[in-house]
Amino acid sequence: MTARHVGFAVVLAALLQTSAFTQGASMLQHGTSPLIVFRILFMTGAAFDPPGKEGLASLTAAMIGEGGSRSKTYQQIVDEMYPMATSVSWQVDKEMTVFTGTTHVENLEKFYGLVKDMLLDPGFRQDDFTRVRDDAVNFLKVSLRESNDEELGKEYLYNVIYAAHPYGHHNRGTVTSLQKLAVDDVRAFYRQHYTRANLVLGLAGNYPNGFAEKVEADFAKLPSGSADKKRFDAPRLPAGNRIAIITRDTRSTAISVGFPIDVNRASPDWPALALAVSYLGQHRTSNGHLYGWLREARGLNYGDYAYVEYFPRGMFQFTPDPNLARQQQIFQIWIRPVEVATGVFTLRAAMYGYDQFVRNGLSRDAFDATRQFLTKYSNILTQTQSARLGYALDSRYYNIADYNTCVRDALAKLTVDDVNRAIRQHLTTDRMQIVIITKDPKPFQDAVAKNTPSPIVYNSPKPKEIMDEDAVIQAYRINVKPEQLTVVPVERVFE
Amino acid sequence: MRSGKSGYAHLFEHLMFRGSENYTPDQRDAIMKRAGADTNASTNQDRTTYYVVFSKEDLDEIFKVEADRFQRLKYSEPAYKTESLAVLGEYNKNSAAPTQKLDEVLYETAFRQHTYAHTTMGYLKDIQDMPNQYAYSQEFYTRFYRPEYTTVLLVGDVTRARALELTTKYFGGWAHGSYEPKIAAEPPQTESRTAHVDWPSPTLPWLAVAFKGPAYSDETRDKPALDLLREIAFGENSDMYRRLVLEQQKVDDLGVDFGNHPDPELFTAYARIKNVKDIEDVRAQMLATFTRFTNENVDQTKLDATRSRMRYSFALRMNSSPAIAAALAPYILLRRTPDTIDKVFDLYRQVTPQDIRVMAAKYFTENNRTIVTLATKAGTK
Repeated sequence: MTARHVGFAVVLAALLQTSAFTQGASMLQHGTSPLIVFRILFMTGAAFDPPGKEGLASLTAAMIGEGGSRSKTYQQIVDEMYPMATSVSWQVDKEMTVFTGTTHVENLEKFYGLVKDMLLDPGFRQDDFTRVRDDAVNFLKVSLRESNDEELGKEYLYNVIYAAHPYGHHNRGTVTSLQKLAVDDVRAFYRQHYTRANLVLGLAGNYPNGFAEKVEADFAKLPSGSADKKRFDAPRLPAGNRIAIITRDTRSTAISVGFPIDVNRASPDWPALALAVSYLGQHRTSNGHLYGWLREARGLNYGDYAYVEYFPRGMFQFTPDPNLARQQQIFQIWIRPVEVATGVFTLRAAMYGYDQFVRNGLSRDAFDATRQFLTKYSNILTQTQSARLGYALDSRYYNIADYNTCVRDALAKLTVDDVNRAIRQHLTTDRMQIVIITKDPKPFQDAVAKNTPSPIVYNSPKPKEIMDEDAVIQAYRINVKPEQLTVVPVERVFE
Repeated sequence: MRSGKSGYAHLFEHLMFRGSENYTPDQRDAIMKRAGADTNASTNQDRTTYYVVFSKEDLDEIFKVEADRFQRLKYSEPAYKTESLAVLGEYNKNSAAPTQKLDEVLYETAFRQHTYAHTTMGYLKDIQDMPNQYAYSQEFYTRFYRPEYTTVLLVGDVTRARALELTTKYFGGWAHGSYEPKIAAEPPQTESRTAHVDWPSPTLPWLAVAFKGPAYSDETRDKPALDLLREIAFGENSDMYRRLVLEQQKVDDLGVDFGNHPDPELFTAYARIKNVKDIEDVRAQMLATFTRFTNENVDQTKLDATRSRMRYSFALRMNSSPAIAAALAPYILLRRTPDTIDKVFDLYRQVTPQDIRVMAAKYFTENNRTIVTLATKAGTK
């Protein structure tokens, strides 16, 4: 496997501090598989939506991935893809837009011919626009607001943390902004951002000699443009913890807790924090601390996890997709929905448990076990060609070496003291943003305003240490001022 | 499934992580953690599949741990009661989605005798009663966690000899059981059925049109013919998709579900409709599509393209060891050997346009049909 830079644009990596600003390159991973993977990456995304036109980056990608090219309608493209069982998927995040597709090598020429036209000569027809815009509006209004409470909470958490920041709207936009967009906006966004300066071509598999060069030559026809090399600052949050309660008619209560961190994959402390959140637990390992503490010991819900990188669509997948690289990331705890009666207890348990975690850090044994886990688990994250290619593109963005090598080398050097220092340094207890989705905000309002206790009743005897801990948790002060608790009706979210 | 006992196969997917004679849950977790393993499970109407993905140097130890829980699961009553709450938690996290309720009502309307009447997750009232059913859970384990119901599948850098050696070593002493489930055959449906779900919060309406279809077979053409038709009639380049999703834009999600099952299950077309006023029209178009293929032969070119699609689709899925295992496991459940995949793909090659018309006419009859709609309850804000 080799990564090779090609010369149709100046490679600036050496001149700039982070590779987020490098441009015009290819990531070629020639291998033995007859399945050929494309990851065509543009270094642009929702953070470049013009003000008032939130959702434009996503809509542009949707028009390319789910719309026609100039020479073929979307229906014609689907018809031609059909016997090959191929398709083009798109993903837009704040700073990255990626188009992915996999084909059997037997169909490579035909598949690529379609992909090339979709990306380089898009049709931008009005009927496609109406359809994909409807899809975006319905995604926000129905699929997210009304069908998936935990994802709603996690996404709204980002809106709260990044209010008044280019990251501050959902990648798909808002209901109001989408309704104002027109197909000409899509054309303008495409012209400005789908440029050689923003492009990185990713290709993997046993493609024939000369194929990569042909793709590079075709994509060299894009305008050279200028790179979307904006530096995004950390959001400035006022001191104090805050709660936003989204009210809707739902049978359970979902909780997300988070705050910005000044650490991303390129930072010296990233391995330490990655190990810390692996110890807390990630979807859907059953050996995480939060999972053991809230689900296995107390039966509160289906699982509880922590992350230091954006992880959308967690309901439907166990590991994050590649190509969601960002300059700014948050630490977050994902509490899966609990019964309404245990909502306040669970919030207290999460805050108490988190506080203990920050105070005490990891034991040496926990550190050793987690380090051993992560050293091998990185192979699982990168077991498909598509994932390896995606991780390599992300490593390029962060200007770090191959992900697996990087993780293994960093873990080998890491000590328990490094991890515990990083936890104390980066994980706050006084700027926490809490998002709760529930039917009735009152128990939370009472707990915040009057510190009303929230005792819990179990259906089976519990060990003494759990009961003792619960005695503390049930009256644990939720460190939020009453005026910092807001209630938001669901119809106002992403509106 | 006994009355009031829906969801226990799925409950076991949870209990199997609660310890065995030689490994407490903590010990098992520690071994999996040291191995950097990805381990989980899933359940559908007919099977539960447990998987572990790990590096090959840990093969022996992982085998040993896995074999212990299949033969010697051991969990206390308090641990059982707590774990049943995690199942309730799983129900809760899914409960916001209207499609969970749509399926629950669809299956209980279509099936009255067969256990397919309830969803894999089970009814909420049965899940809420699980904490009281410790003794039944042990009975369930003794019945079904037996070699006659189990296949061990290994994918990766391992030889057949080594796989056999380890299977014999760790599973060799496992005794057969004596329980044979008596799942009632579903009597032939004699009238079309409908149901409606009033959903308490805002949603786009859903429509499900289902017909009882044939069971899996690698010998007769019934199921393979309709497998091809599902793509032709409701896939992304079907006339139905072109009309409803691309041209009229009345539907934003058109799907079809027709899995491989040991007993006859449902062929279901689903649509999420953008405007409640279009429900009737979409229902009429959906029914017309089903009727159309009972009367006319599918286009030969389209049939050939569909065969090609199915072949490539299967190949494209197999891009890692766990993906290969996930592709094979459902077939192994049905026939205890992956050879059935070749047999069924042979049948796909043989199916003719006439076969498809004949099978459509046989199964897509009015008496065999169940229609369920779901829409926001009147008066919801």
